Amino acid sequence: MPADILHAAESVGAIDTSVPALEMRGIDKRFPGVLALEGVDLTLQPGKVHALMGENGAGKSTLIKIMAGVYGKDAGVIRIQGREVDIKSPRDSLRQGIKVVFQEIALISEFTVAENIFLEGYPTGAGGSIDWKKIRNDSAALFKRIGFNVDPAARTGSLPVSQQQMVEIARALAHEARVVVMDEPTSSLTPNEVALLFTVIRRLTALGIAVVYVSHKLDEVFEIADTVTVLRDGRHISTKSVSEQTSDTLIQDMIGRRIDNLFPRKRGAAGTKVALSVEGLSTAKKLKDVTFEARAGEVLGFFGLMGAGRTELAKAIVGYDPITSGAITVDGQPLTPHDTRTGVRLGIGLLTEDRKTEGLMGELPVYQNASLASLGAFARMGFVDKAKERKAVQEYVDRFRIKTPSLTQKIKNLSGGNQQKVLISRWLMRGLKVIVVDEPTRGIDVGAKSEIFALIDRLAGEGLAVVLMSSEMPELLGLADRIAVMCEGRITATMSRDEATQEKILNAAIG
Amino acid sequence: MTNASTAIEAANTEPPFLARLARHQEMALLLCLVLVLAFFSFTAENFFSVRNMTNVLGQASLALTAGIGCAIVFISGEVDISIGSLLATIALPLIIIMNETGSLALGVSGALLFGLIVGCINGYLTAYAGINSLIVTLGMMFVLRGGVYLYTGQRAIPDDAMLDSFILLSDGRLFNVIPYSAVIALILLFVFAYVMRHRPFGRQIYAVGGNPEVARLAGYDVRRVKFVCFIISALLATVAGIILAARVGSAQHTAGLNFEFQVVAATVLGGVSLAGGIGSLWGMALGVLILQFLSNGLRGLGLPTEWQLVITGMIIIAAVAFDEAKRRRANGG
Repeated sequence: MPADILHAAESVGAIDTSVPALEMRGIDKRFPGVLALEGVDLTLQPGKVHALMGENGAGKSTLIKIMAGVYGKDAGVIRIQGREVDIKSPRDSLRQGIKVVFQEIALISEFTVAENIFLEGYPTGAGGSIDWKKIRNDSAALFKRIGFNVDPAARTGSLPVSQQQMVEIARALAHEARVVVMDEPTSSLTPNEVALLFTVIRRLTALGIAVVYVSHKLDEVFEIADTVTVLRDGRHISTKSVSEQTSDTLIQDMIGRRIDNLFPRKRGAAGTKVALSVEGLSTAKKLKDVTFEARAGEVLGFFGLMGAGRTELAKAIVGYDPITSGAITVDGQPLTPHDTRTGVRLGIGLLTEDRKTEGLMGELPVYQNASLASLGAFARMGFVDKAKERKAVQEYVDRFRIKTPSLTQKIKNLSGGNQQKVLISRWLMRGLKVIVVDEPTRGIDVGAKSEIFALIDRLAGEGLAVVLMSSEMPELLGLADRIAVMCEGRITATMSRDEATQEKILNAAIG
Repeated sequence: MTNASTAIEAANTEPPFLARLARHQEMALLLCLVLVLAFFSFTAENFFSVRNMTNVLGQASLALTAGIGCAIVFISGEVDISIGSLLATIALPLIIIMNETGSLALGVSGALLFGLIVGCINGYLTAYAGINSLIVTLGMMFVLRGGVYLYTGQRAIPDDAMLDSFILLSDGRLFNVIPYSAVIALILLFVFAYVMRHRPFGRQIYAVGGNPEVARLAGYDVRRVKFVCFIISALLATVAGIILAARVGSAQHTAGLNFEFQVVAATVLGGVSLAGGIGSLWGMALGVLILQFLSNGLRGLGLPTEWQLVITGMIIIAAVAFDEAKRRRANGG
């Protein structure tokens, strides 16, 4: 029997604790061009907190989504209480008592908080009518019991993100649960709220519920977890009791290789000429008084946690997003008017984080994607000279070793790494001075990652200023000459490659 | 902890009745309707009479009935513009079967079966085959309309059976006051408004339209919900078609021409968002009544039809722009 925090007495007994609550064996998951999971095992004991750790892209989210029925697995078995089950949809997963609190808010914003709590199964009264009174009372009682301060009658969309996150957590507890999965549940909670969350988690484990806790925050893991599993590049690396791990050994497991090997540095020292200068930049929504310079031949890295403003900064300095104050100078020329047309003319371009919607023309061939920003150069009397265009693109395909069957292949059929190279070609063809790169390795597998790193190294070597936005510390530590750390729209620290350590960066990022 | 308990108290003590009422967006619409009624009562002759009011209600019953389906499909995040053609098409099985068998029940069954099939096709192509619903129902609109033309040519197929019960549907009035067609529309409105608010399935439609991904994660079968919405829409359009056929006493190829756009206009005016997940059937009903009384009143003032169209169009755009502005402010962005 699964347990239910609202109605159960607070003791073990509701759940059989002799067999694992959930077992995953040899899970494979393949996406086009990427093997996201390969033979991953995970065993959850009832009444225990199991932390799941790994770098971005290690496969944590994919594993959770398989548990939740969002993705199907390509191989492997899932057993619940020792019994093999087939989870084909979120519905199957919920029925098995697996409740997932996703990192992205999964609530209907037009509904009240109380209705969202009971979204997955409305209590009904006589004749099958929804019992709204019970929904109101039970959700109020649930919040009271777990100590969260949220108004159940509020329209969910009108609440701040931290409260929505609490609603998400509460929702997982409103129905009978066997396994509760929390994916970065504290990303927008205050320390007090985190303490409340931990009390809730302890109460869940007292009921015999197995809790999966996904987090980047080492201190949280050491505080709450019993066991910790580390994934890396879609593979299972280690599963150990928390007491057997230290911060160092955990990081070692997560990174797993010496950073130097992944980031071969070939370029020489950065130049002295300032290619990009940003002064007092602010935007309406996020950025506050951002000032920095990037020199030709330099990789300037920007680190920040979710919501720190990296992407906003990237979009503002290339002229894509409007700014409220501040000045941007590219190669000595002011970026006015503030738009991408001027940006491209002055020689600053953005390699977007969101390749699919902001970068690629998925249905168009490789060569048209590459030449998009520089059609003017191939034009003759207003018509594009196709031969000239293709010849130019072919040069880049050779130079960057872009793997494509032909220039006319639709770009959506290329792997993530090769798509990224085509997009870089797009900007180089235009003759850039400054390239802003936002999360260049998101959704790209490890082999291709190091190729992208080599490419960025080479760009800087050729005299471009590279502004690299990343949420992956090793990437920055390996590539950047200097690292600026952002927190809530400001730069909180700037350090050279030699001074930078993971701890220093993280401290500055937390603010 | 004190904060938590105040929040819960706040939730349990209901705000005053009027304040709660004012929070509903339907209030603004009701106010509009009252204004329209008041304006024409003073300016147009014979406007504010029981006879005229109930007549307008009878005329509005077609759009009310089909509007329920239209609103439900909108709320699920899709559109259905095939209802006007369906209205004309189902008169064929209805009249033909009645003429052959002399049975209203068989005729209505035949019409509903036809509507069901159309609804299934629209629903399947949209929900399961993943084709955009605007395209699917646009195509269906042409197919059905063309089919009626092919079958009837330019002539109407008259209702030869002249069944009393069928004629009652157009001329009959409950207690000699309210047209039966309006009674049917109101009953359907109450039933579906109840479903949308108080049955799990109704809430699922809102959830699916509000955010399909969230609905899927909550264990809903998003495709099935949408599929069923298209069936509901087609069946309600069929009911409206039966009432129309009774009124005109025949099946004809021009029946229900542009009807879908009147319904869409009223639904949108009633605050049902094309984006899905937002709006209510009561809002839709008020939208229908406002437009119907407006056109009736303008006619009473002797304004030509052309002007009625222009005014209606401007009102719809203004209403939706107002809604949008309000929503943006509420979301603080």
